[in-house]
Amino acid sequence: MIDDIAFWFGYLTNGKHLTWYASFQFTIFAALMGGTLAVVFGLAGATMKNSRFFPLRLLGTIYSSIVRGVPDVLFFLFFPLAFEQGVEWLISTQVCSPAAIAAQTAAWPPCKEANWFLGTTEYLILASVSLGLVYGAFASNVIHGALRSVPAGQLEAARAYGMSPRQVLWRIHIRQMWVYALPGLSNVWMLIIKATSLLSLLQIADIVLWADRLGAPNFLPAVGLVHEDWRWRYYLVLFVFYILVTWLSERAFEAIMRRAGRGMLSEART
Amino acid sequence: MQEEKPPKAGGSPVVELRDLHKSFGALEVLKGVSFTAREGEVISLIGSSGSGKSTLLRCINMLEVPDRGDVLIDGETIKLRGEGQGRQVADEAQIRRIRSELGMVFQSFNLWAHMTVLQNVMEAPLVVQGRQRAEVEAEARAMLDKVGIGTKCDAYPSQLSGGQQQRAAIARALCINPRVMLFDEPTSALDPELEVEVLRVIKVLADEGRSMVLVTHDMEFARSVSDKVIFLHHGLIEEQGTPGEVFSATKSARLKQFLNAASHG
Repeated sequence: MIDDIAFWFGYLTNGKHLTWYASFQFTIFAALMGGTLAVVFGLAGATMKNSRFFPLRLLGTIYSSIVRGVPDVLFFLFFPLAFEQGVEWLISTQVCSPAAIAAQTAAWPPCKEANWFLGTTEYLILASVSLGLVYGAFASNVIHGALRSVPAGQLEAARAYGMSPRQVLWRIHIRQMWVYALPGLSNVWMLIIKATSLLSLLQIADIVLWADRLGAPNFLPAVGLVHEDWRWRYYLVLFVFYILVTWLSERAFEAIMRRAGRGMLSEART
Repeated sequence: MQEEKPPKAGGSPVVELRDLHKSFGALEVLKGVSFTAREGEVISLIGSSGSGKSTLLRCINMLEVPDRGDVLIDGETIKLRGEGQGRQVADEAQIRRIRSELGMVFQSFNLWAHMTVLQNVMEAPLVVQGRQRAEVEAEARAMLDKVGIGTKCDAYPSQLSGGQQQRAAIARALCINPRVMLFDEPTSALDPELEVEVLRVIKVLADEGRSMVLVTHDMEFARSVSDKVIFLHHGLIEEQGTPGEVFSATKSARLKQFLNAASHG
């Protein structure tokens, strides 16, 4: 019995497992940063759509309608790579001598000096930015609708008392918008959480990639078969993790809703 | 409320409207209206719905921009640019300064729902007028006491009755130390028993000698509170004068008809 516990304790705290546990931070980081950026892009997109200035309005509309239609997986692969190569191209216009370009045998980058090495951290940030961009388009639609739900009289009163357009926007309009936007934003947040399982596509050793590696049939020449296909057990852990995150998120959104809805929720009830 | 106010010697003009025209699309709502409100005067605008009285009031602080004509506050012309229905405010800073001295009270209260009553009253003095918090808070509490809801400072508007909300809105207007108070049918959204408490507050303010322009359906009240009554019909001033002239010595047939309908309605 004691031996069994000692064995499992040892097994579950071996180097690979510890790396797996640590990799949860990538997922959590990507969700939090992606979520924050989605709200920022969403606010920017929604206010642009409401702008009186036509080019801004066009940009906001294009963003929210086009980007929403692009599959997140595609954007996830496209954006970080396009960004990386774009930066490399920019560097190459500054540092590459004609001789270096001639000496380069590979198709890309144009010369060796222009190579930009990206590690896990950089890819993680790029992945979070692309999550923010994709889901920001959804958020901008949600926020745009919520901005239009704020009663016109609330804004008119603010104008009548001499507030500047910026004060009306931030002190009244955006402040009251949250109550209408939060249910939609919580949906967007759930989609972001789900999409964090795509991190491994960018070669980030995230929780999914590790579960895959650890669960695969393990054969050591010296010992023989250590364990057979255990992937479902590892996936089950991820399953529980995501359910836990969902539960926590719902509690958090309820708390935010109570805070943002002070004075406004009771009004809706009467 | 039958007695009328004694006639008042005219002060300097605070609100001056010159030949205001306003159309919404093809619908011409104001067809050339001029009047002057002097310091300390209470002016009531009466007329059937659609006569343009609310639009006229909203032109004073440019919530509606007139297609033609000028609005002067304390002798200063509000700068506008453009022509016809494309006309708009030309000087944002000027209009914000002028608006910060016009206390408007709306038919549907329009208290900011996410703020407590006290925060509502303090908002404009703090963020528009840039005054000191301690001083503003003391004044806001005094104003809320004055309108009789001093105990409701920390309640949200949705927790108050309509009459209480409208009195809070009046306190909000008072707290900016307005040159003129603008009332847009302040009791039309209220039940009769709540109406009384709001009218009482407005009456007190009128007796204090505050300048007011009031759009109202309540003829009794207009008679008791006004220095001057203006009857609007189809976007034009059909008749104006002291309450005595307008209500007791009515000249226009249309006004007679309107008053008849109002007293039986």
